[in-house]
Amino acid sequence: MAEGFDIDHLAKLARLNLTAEEKVLYSSQLNQILGHFQALAKADLPATIDLARVVSESALRSDEPGPVLGAETVTRLAPASRDGQISVPRVVDDEA
Amino acid sequence: MSSSPSDWEVVIGLEVHVQLHTRAKAFASSPWGFGKEPNEQVDPVVLGLPGTLPVVNREAVEKSILFGLVVGSSVPEQCAWDRKNYFYPDNPKNYQLTQKDFPVVVGGQVEIELPGASRNVMGEHKFIRIHHAHLEEDVGKLSHAGSGSLVDYNRAGVPLLEIVTEPDLRSAAEAEAFLRSLVALLTQAGVADCDMEKGQLRCDCNVSIRRRGAEKLGTRTETKNLNSISSVRDTVIYETARQIRELEAGRSITQETRGWNAELSRGYVLRDKEDAHDYRYFPDPDLPTLRISRETVARLQKLVPENLYDRQRRYVEKFGLPFTAASVLVVNRELAEWFEAAAAAHPTNPQGIANWVTNDLLRDLAASGGAGAPLTDEVLPAVSLASCPIKPVQLAGLVKLTDDGVISKQQAKEVFAEMFKTGQEALAIVDAKGLRQNSDTGELEKIVQEVIADPAVAKSIAEYRAGNEKAINALKGPIMKRTQGKANPVLIDQLLRKFLG
Repeated sequence: MAEGFDIDHLAKLARLNLTAEEKVLYSSQLNQILGHFQALAKADLPATIDLARVVSESALRSDEPGPVLGAETVTRLAPASRDGQISVPRVVDDEA
Repeated sequence: MSSSPSDWEVVIGLEVHVQLHTRAKAFASSPWGFGKEPNEQVDPVVLGLPGTLPVVNREAVEKSILFGLVVGSSVPEQCAWDRKNYFYPDNPKNYQLTQKDFPVVVGGQVEIELPGASRNVMGEHKFIRIHHAHLEEDVGKLSHAGSGSLVDYNRAGVPLLEIVTEPDLRSAAEAEAFLRSLVALLTQAGVADCDMEKGQLRCDCNVSIRRRGAEKLGTRTETKNLNSISSVRDTVIYETARQIRELEAGRSITQETRGWNAELSRGYVLRDKEDAHDYRYFPDPDLPTLRISRETVARLQKLVPENLYDRQRRYVEKFGLPFTAASVLVVNRELAEWFEAAAAAHPTNPQGIANWVTNDLLRDLAASGGAGAPLTDEVLPAVSLASCPIKPVQLAGLVKLTDDGVISKQQAKEVFAEMFKTGQEALAIVDAKGLRQNSDTGELEKIVQEVIADPAVAKSIAEYRAGNEKAINALKGPIMKRTQGKANPVLIDQLLRKFLG
């Protein structure tokens, strides 16, 4: 079965550091899983909406504000925080 | 060989992200609002904690549909949500809920008005097609400090309508006109507040150029996260010039994501979020497909306000307003409705009422401060009439008093100032101040004759009799002075002409 994916790329997207052995193992397992989808892929279906599970507007929530956790709880859930904010390694968006 | 910029045509498409006017978030009940302490508006659903399930906010859906109706889109029978997967700290649950294949708004168009040759001339109108608009959730806000970054999730989960245009815009001026029109439509329908200073409207701007007359689109760049209309305009100008320079130097355009530095007025290449284009969308398993009933659509259709340019045409055609006045009134629905209420109370002189509204009322509202944001480059006339001390019917009363000759235009200014200060009726002020214009012909005749007899004005009389029409004005001043400005100017003019024969 031809591999429809690049294990290195997938590992990068999922932020996983895989060893060479793991790459071989997971490639094989992923191939098996993807094999199950081959049958669907052959059916050449257009993108259609999932009508099997449709709800009406009564399933929507009203625009009523509810309780919040509070900054103290939110930051406690994170590995590191500072001044009520969650602290993470620097991600840069600004002009290089 | 170099060519002039006019040999090139710029093609622009915009993706406009608008925070919808709701109290709770898009898929969670957490409240949201600008200016709160970091992470104080976060609940377990926003964070995607285990065991939580999102539920769509009805108001967010209805505001989205309302926008669709405002731009004349067809409201689909169903819409659905997808997960857009990426790892980035602004995204608390590693996916963003969005609509990829079945958005809530499909198609539609926005009428725009380009600047005219001068302020009092209407510019060209065009229609810009909307490709679609989808209802998604906003992400958290990052700030960068030293070696680390800080994350505030207050903004995460805020309902965001992403409005995507067709590549129909052809200049920076058109992009600017489009955004101004869009902001007016969104605010007038109550869909969004579009306060750009609070980041409630952000824009991604796709720009490409091609030889004039060419069919094929050039390679485009996308400048992300522009948070003002002027940034969009400047980006288009900058990108157009840059791309022309590149192509004319024999280089090619790289399809890239760019940022804009508003302080330095220059663009730069963004270091792309790694593999940002591989979002691995799939239908969100937590949110079922939503069926939109035709009853809801019919109910929302009734909330669609008159389009601002339809209103402008009506003001010019029905009320005979000059373009300058009509164009100022229609960008603010509250102001337009205030004007119409006044015009209805005194139907014979809508132009006179429009003059008072666009000149005196707007000026005094802006000066009184509490009336809302001033007229700036970025924000449409955002005056609020909620605290306006003058009621429409009261202004109508003032205009009627001048039209009936009870008070002069000069006296009316004084009365208006008093009305704005006290909220009293025009007539009450006129009576209290004894401002009634003197239209007593007998008394005025006497004064006119006395003034004419004064040797000081003999020269002016001679000039007038010699055919200099304007010389008659020199006689009006002394008459006004003697009547403390209360004389009816029309009557004075008639009397002078009668006596000078």
